[in-house]
Amino acid sequence: MQEPTFLILTALAARAQHGYGIMTDVARISDGRVRLRAGTLYAALDRLKADGLVTSDKDEVVDGRLRRYYRITDEGAEELAAEVDRLRANAAVAASRLGLAGGTA
Amino acid sequence: MSEMEAARRRAESREKRYRRLLALYPKDHQREHAEEMVGVLLAAAGDAQVRAPKPVAWARRFGQHTADCADLVAGALRIRGRMVLNRIRRAPWFSRTVRDQRWSDALAVVSVVAPLLLLVAALAEVHIPQAAASSVTGHPQWQLTGALGLADLPLAAGAPAVAVLAFLRLRRTAGMAALAVAIGQVVSGILRSSPAFTRYESPAVAFTVLLACTAAAALLLSPGPDRGLALLTPGGTALVGAGALILGGFSVGGAMWFGAASPPSFGFAGFRGEVAGLPGDLLIAGVLVTVAAACLRAPVSRRVLALLAIPVIPYAVLWQEKLAGDLFGSPNGGASTLIPSSVVLLYLLPLILAGAIVGGTSLARRRATGRARQVGSTTTPAGPRSAVSA
Repeated sequence: MQEPTFLILTALAARAQHGYGIMTDVARISDGRVRLRAGTLYAALDRLKADGLVTSDKDEVVDGRLRRYYRITDEGAEELAAEVDRLRANAAVAASRLGLAGGTA
Repeated sequence: MSEMEAARRRAESREKRYRRLLALYPKDHQREHAEEMVGVLLAAAGDAQVRAPKPVAWARRFGQHTADCADLVAGALRIRGRMVLNRIRRAPWFSRTVRDQRWSDALAVVSVVAPLLLLVAALAEVHIPQAAASSVTGHPQWQLTGALGLADLPLAAGAPAVAVLAFLRLRRTAGMAALAVAIGQVVSGILRSSPAFTRYESPAVAFTVLLACTAAAALLLSPGPDRGLALLTPGGTALVGAGALILGGFSVGGAMWFGAASPPSFGFAGFRGEVAGLPGDLLIAGVLVTVAAACLRAPVSRRVLALLAIPVIPYAVLWQEKLAGDLFGSPNGGASTLIPSSVVLLYLLPLILAGAIVGGTSLARRRATGRARQVGSTTTPAGPRSAVSA
């Protein structure tokens, strides 16, 4: 799973969010390191929707502009959980090889 | 007040530009997302505004806006590319051909081999394999050259990019890059030929265009180089690598990859372009026959051979020209060919072969399923026979 995908799913893991909400949340989660732009975000959402990992939730109009909310599907949550396990396992190995105490990151 | 007015005007003109770029997206996507995307773009642009001296603020806004616009275009290309791929995947001929495990495996192997061959072709542009080969044969004609023109750029820069992207397992990006190499070669062919289009009669241009297309198809439609490498045995890999280098090194004459519009002149008078005369021909023939013989032994490699035959046809055309030149060439360097090279031979024949592969497997699969249904047996239906199997 590529990092933007991982971060988008993470942004949606707790609650449904609209496009701009995902953008700001991804920047917050990655500590400002990853800043998604609209083209990248919507291309990723398009793929995630096609793969059934994300679905659109509800529409609302704020200041005359349409806001569509997206939420993670069960399948998306499973995929994210699997990725978390994989990253955690890798991090644990890395930490233990670096000689850090416990070895569980 | 006037500042607010200016900001409003800026937002309006920005929105107009965004909407123009959003027209690049597929209609369905526009209907579904255009409005919210405009909202997101404007919100992000507004959010990025910071208090700064005028020129700094302007430069920041300009940078932000340009990056957003470029990202919109890239997003549109990504979505459209994915749509095209999905359409191909859903097509009946695709599911009958590529879904067949053996064809899918063969494409995976080709997704390793074709970028490698493309890389050798690019190295041959600066005469690296030729110089290595002439150091073996003692022919002094080939020296390394750095003199590459703008028209050589698609292959010289594109082929290494495809190889690196394939190596990094960025399969789709590598596939798109290979497609770009093919288009670049076609465009540079148009730009370099006078009168226009004569260069398409050049087997060298045909070879690189078809090779790049084959690499693109293999990278985009197969499981990718990982699967291909898993299938390639160490012996097979060595054979492919050595074969590619020998073909590149003993490539035919000075005009091999650059491709002159007319057949290059060969003859006994002096081997001018060639690295080696008849021994070179025999070596190339030997490599082709060994690869073919090695490939005929297993169902997957038979299919690899059929797929690689598509770009190799122009190479074979060029090679027989050289062979004819070396065998029957007149002492004054005049060339005589066995089969004259032509656009029909260079492009139609490979296209017919590609069509035969798709059509043949499609037909065989349909027959096999029909037979299985008639018999009503529970055993697995006989797999499609390769259209070009031995």
